[in-house]
Amino acid sequence: MENHIISLKNITKRFKVGEGEFTALKDINLEFKKGEFAGLVGPSGSGKTTLLNIIGSLDSPTEGQALVMGNDISKLSHKESAQLRNHHIGFIFQVYNLLPVYTVYENVEFALLLQNYTKTERKKMVMEALEWVGLTDMADKKPDKISGGEGQRVAIARAMVKRPEILIADEPTANLDAENAHIILKMMKKLNKELNTTFLFSTHDEKVMKYLNRMVSLRDGSVEKDEIIAKEAYM
Amino acid sequence: MKLAIQLAYKNLIGAGLRTWLNVIVLSFAFIIIIFFNALLQGWSNQAKEDGIAWDFGYGHILNRNYDPYDAFTIQDGHDIIPKNLENTTPILIQQGSIYPDGRLVSVLLKGIDTNQDILKIPSAKFKNTTAAIPAIIGKRMAESANLKVGDEVILRWRDKNGVFDASYISIIDVFDTTVPSIDAGQIWLPLEKLQKMTNLQTQATLFVVNKNYQQNTLDNWKFVKQKTLLKDIEDVIATESIGSAVMYLVFLLIALLAIFDTQVLSIFRRQKEIGTYVALGMTRPKVVSLFTIEGTMHSIFAIIVGCMYGVPIFIYLNQSGITMPDFAGSMGIGLDKAIFPVYNPSIILLTILFIILASAIVSYLPARKIARMNPVLALKGKLQ
Repeated sequence: MENHIISLKNITKRFKVGEGEFTALKDINLEFKKGEFAGLVGPSGSGKTTLLNIIGSLDSPTEGQALVMGNDISKLSHKESAQLRNHHIGFIFQVYNLLPVYTVYENVEFALLLQNYTKTERKKMVMEALEWVGLTDMADKKPDKISGGEGQRVAIARAMVKRPEILIADEPTANLDAENAHIILKMMKKLNKELNTTFLFSTHDEKVMKYLNRMVSLRDGSVEKDEIIAKEAYM
Repeated sequence: MKLAIQLAYKNLIGAGLRTWLNVIVLSFAFIIIIFFNALLQGWSNQAKEDGIAWDFGYGHILNRNYDPYDAFTIQDGHDIIPKNLENTTPILIQQGSIYPDGRLVSVLLKGIDTNQDILKIPSAKFKNTTAAIPAIIGKRMAESANLKVGDEVILRWRDKNGVFDASYISIIDVFDTTVPSIDAGQIWLPLEKLQKMTNLQTQATLFVVNKNYQQNTLDNWKFVKQKTLLKDIEDVIATESIGSAVMYLVFLLIALLAIFDTQVLSIFRRQKEIGTYVALGMTRPKVVSLFTIEGTMHSIFAIIVGCMYGVPIFIYLNQSGITMPDFAGSMGIGLDKAIFPVYNPSIILLTILFIILASAIVSYLPARKIARMNPVLALKGKLQ
């Protein structure tokens, strides 16, 4: 139990739709260990993003208990959940969500600005993160001056710069061509091994599935299948 | 806070033209508020200085029976000039009528000592004239009665017993003053001449005192301080200030409305950015303060931009003055040919604080919405 960085017990999530309700997640029970490279797969509307949002403390379950690094997501205040995200969780979004007025360097630095690092420490960490993704020479460029693949690599650097325990990636390759998708996935796989960060994806991209060590298939808000693909990595 | 200021600064600069349009509009409001306050202050100072120089001196000693606001008290509001009354100049006031161009015009006759130097009224001109009854009048009076230097006009008056008399008076000088209270409807005569004409020898209605006057109790006379005499001017300026305040509040509201609009639009357009801030670990109150500071920073930029083009204009106007139109002098208020704006540091500071506070409020109001935002919907840009 103590090895599980994420523990989801009987998670149900309902949304109000007009006068009625829509059940996005039904009685989900899952556990993830530190260092996993796992994916939530399934068609649109299967509940992948909703589950990732709950794990990322951006949302809370209607029923059940979501424990992330020992924190019960439903019981966290706004401030506590912000601190959890700031210190322990990194996000990668489908459309990168880079801040347009900041340079690549400033985008990556942003996550560190919310913590108490000195300018020298921040510079060292940002340059290291940019080195991971091979973008040190683009540090001064604005997001509108870089390609989609480069933008997603900046997003990875931004998510990884604070060395979070958990990295949540919502359809990270959906806007990328095959070549860039493979570059990104290899990069994430490498970081997963080197930093022992738990990677959680939502995807319906087969390119992503090939890289996963564990694949959780969701359908209509329920876990349809939970497969361990590469046991040595899972262990 | 430091982080929010840094981020707000970057966001505002990054927003480009949108930011500068708001800043320029707000800077106009800032400059207009400062300018109109300075103009009113300049007018106020000038009106007071002229009032002191031409009419009030350092106070008036009025006969107890005389009320400057009641014309019926003129007839009996005078008395023998007290002995040993130093640092004052007596003025005798009586009523009369003149008949310029065959019209009857009621006037106040004011006798003033030819040797006085407390007021700027050119009474010394009486010394160098051979006219039987020399008179000097102000420009307004000259215009309304169609009189000029060298003209003679019939004056009718009554002496202390109520007996009518009449004679020609000669206009020996027309003086130009911004103070209507010593000009319009008034004819200035040598004091001794008026005393003699009215059989009120050695009598006066009031005294104007200079700055060396030591106040002492006088029977049948009351001292009115300079400050009290200036109150009318202050009241007029206060009324004008309210009128101006309404005008520049309208300007300010337009500018603040632009900031409010920008904030509302910005929060709607930047939902994903807001969601990203929250996902990266910013608390929602911090995002609210970021947007509030962003909006408020418009006012800081506006003050800087306003100073950049406003200060040179202000310095120029302060040196050259603002020329008043010709009709300004006939409006019944003390306006000189040019007004020199006076920039009061406390007014400038208050204006700056007011603009910053007002822009902070209009920035905060729409930003409050962020605190209630669902970050998941914000990230998807699905909020309405």
